[in-house]
Amino acid sequence: MILELKNIDKSFGEKEVLKGVSFVAEGGKAFGLLGRNGAGKTTSIRILMNVFPADRGEVLVDGTPIDYSKIGIGYLPEERGLYPKKLIIDQLVYFAELKGMSARDAVRSVDYWLGRLGMSEYRNKRLDTLSKGNQQKIQLITALAHDPDIVILDEPFSGLDPVNAMLLKDVVKEQIAKGKIVLFSSHQMSYIEEFCDSIAIITAGKVAISGDLHDIKRNYLRDKLVVSTTNPERIKADLGKSCTQRDDGTLLIQLADPNEKQAMMKRLVESYDIDEVKVFEPSLNDIFVEYAGAQV
Amino acid sequence: MKQFGKILKFELKGFLRNKVFVGFTIFLMVAIAIVMFIPNIIAAFESDDGVDTPPDELPTMLIYSEDETIAALVKEYFKNAFVDYEINIAEGSIDELKNDIITGKAECAFVMNSASSYTYYVNNLSMYDMNTEIANTVLQEVYRINEMIKNNIPPEKASEIMSVQIESGTETLGKNQMQNFFYTYIMIFALYMVILLYGQMVATNVATEKSSRAMEVLITSANPTSMMFGKVLASCIAGFSQLVLIFGTAIVLYNVNKDALTNPLIASIFDIPLELFAYLIVFFILGFLIYAFMFGAIGSTASKLEDINTSVMPITFLFIIAFMVVMFSMSNGTVDNTAMLICSYIPFTSPMAMFTRICMSTVPWYEIVSSIAILIGSTVGIGILSAKIYRVGVLLYGTPPKIGTILKTVLKKQ
Repeated sequence: MILELKNIDKSFGEKEVLKGVSFVAEGGKAFGLLGRNGAGKTTSIRILMNVFPADRGEVLVDGTPIDYSKIGIGYLPEERGLYPKKLIIDQLVYFAELKGMSARDAVRSVDYWLGRLGMSEYRNKRLDTLSKGNQQKIQLITALAHDPDIVILDEPFSGLDPVNAMLLKDVVKEQIAKGKIVLFSSHQMSYIEEFCDSIAIITAGKVAISGDLHDIKRNYLRDKLVVSTTNPERIKADLGKSCTQRDDGTLLIQLADPNEKQAMMKRLVESYDIDEVKVFEPSLNDIFVEYAGAQV
Repeated sequence: MKQFGKILKFELKGFLRNKVFVGFTIFLMVAIAIVMFIPNIIAAFESDDGVDTPPDELPTMLIYSEDETIAALVKEYFKNAFVDYEINIAEGSIDELKNDIITGKAECAFVMNSASSYTYYVNNLSMYDMNTEIANTVLQEVYRINEMIKNNIPPEKASEIMSVQIESGTETLGKNQMQNFFYTYIMIFALYMVILLYGQMVATNVATEKSSRAMEVLITSANPTSMMFGKVLASCIAGFSQLVLIFGTAIVLYNVNKDALTNPLIASIFDIPLELFAYLIVFFILGFLIYAFMFGAIGSTASKLEDINTSVMPITFLFIIAFMVVMFSMSNGTVDNTAMLICSYIPFTSPMAMFTRICMSTVPWYEIVSSIAILIGSTVGIGILSAKIYRVGVLLYGTPPKIGTILKTVLKKQ
């Protein structure tokens, strides 16, 4: 299954929130939707979920406009919250039923997920008696219980302790393995890097870059070198402004031209005591800062 | 449609699980039951006693006059007029008489300056003290009879002239306002209470979902129109069943205790024609829905529960004004005045105004039909509009937007 958002425009009053947003997410893979606060991620997700229509553009599944009666979507919103005063089982079954499940299937599925996430003991408790992390696990069930084709997780890891984060990772991997489209939105780049095969970075309502994460990294301008050395001061003194020391003690050397790479490597190895020299591969964090940070 | 059913069920379950809602309903039913059984309970106690308890000692009323004949005459007439008092002629000075009143030996006193002039002494003058009015009438009569006798009319003839009885009868061709005032009053009041109470509940309910952010999931799971209609209809059903239970208890128990409840006022309350019930149901449901929709829409624009009270104020005012117009006209006995005529066609006021007119006056059928038709049309219109406001409102956080701004956004979308 392939999900495609194509040239989506959306304005609220005078304010243009999305300006031709397009990206493609594939089944059996996780997709990371990145962007700074207010860039238009939530609006894109809401259009994808048909909360409101786009002004222009379309949402396609396998090339045809999405049919919401056939394609199930599960959503874990960034702003968490359910009914604090109602019993957990009641509200989970209610949400699953709203998504089209029969009462019996809903109860069965909710019970499965309560067990899967280790929450069965809270089945008949009120939501507000639970800790925040546990409430978040309950909310995750609303996104998964109806076995959706597309799972949208907005900041799924925030507020979870390491054990629960591990549990969630397993669940996410399981969903990906089932061939579902898992759409992540997060500011915790390490998780995105761990899960997502492809990403889109939205900046001020436009997609700044999108595609396969490996390709993006590979296509990144290879004009920086990372150098491990015993006497960084000497290199810094010799190279001047183009050399900066990183937090981990290594040096980052900016080349004037990517073609200088070979020459510079040779020069470094011959002139100084070098432990290691390699081409700088950006982390997702670096990419994000470069693309999303440009629009400060 | 399937979603609507699920939402309705979920919301109804919420009412049934609400301890305050259930408790209040049961409390009212029990209270009504107790009231209805009181005459029987009292009767049971009285029959146990066998003999009637002798009446308590009557309070004393003193008569004082320099002229003994006047004192005797007044005492004679007052005896018949004030049966609840023991009438005595004061012996002693006026100061002693005042002292008697202050110490409680006597309750009140009439100091006669002449046959047609007196001063009334009483310790604490009650709001309901009618003694001077009665005394005026009696003394006037005495004076007239005496004057007639002085003018050579025989005493018998004089009394006959004074005590002539007028025979009269009333035949009501339309509605008898005296008889149906109380049940109309009760029904209007019930309508008022239920609509305001449940309207607020709908608004709070929507705002709670929004402030707890359950809305984030809800809005992506269900159609806003189904959500709005499900919520409003659930509260309508809950409110209506509450009314049916409470009034049902009253009616059933009244019929059980009918023989003991001889008070004509109570009898008039329960003597409601069936067709009025039908109108009550129609106006209740429509009035409830139109207000609940508005309350729901307003609730959706508030991001915090604290905002609700100020946000719903315009609607509450509108409703209170309608209520005041109706109540004022009812107590005036002029339910067909211009204000009421206008109000019976405005959808926000017609549930109360038209219903009152139907109860207490004779309204041509075409007026009723057109009023109900306008109301149905507006209810549907307001319902659709409020669902649209809801769709926009629930996703807005921050300061509640002005109604005008919201309407503009909603209408521009179409």
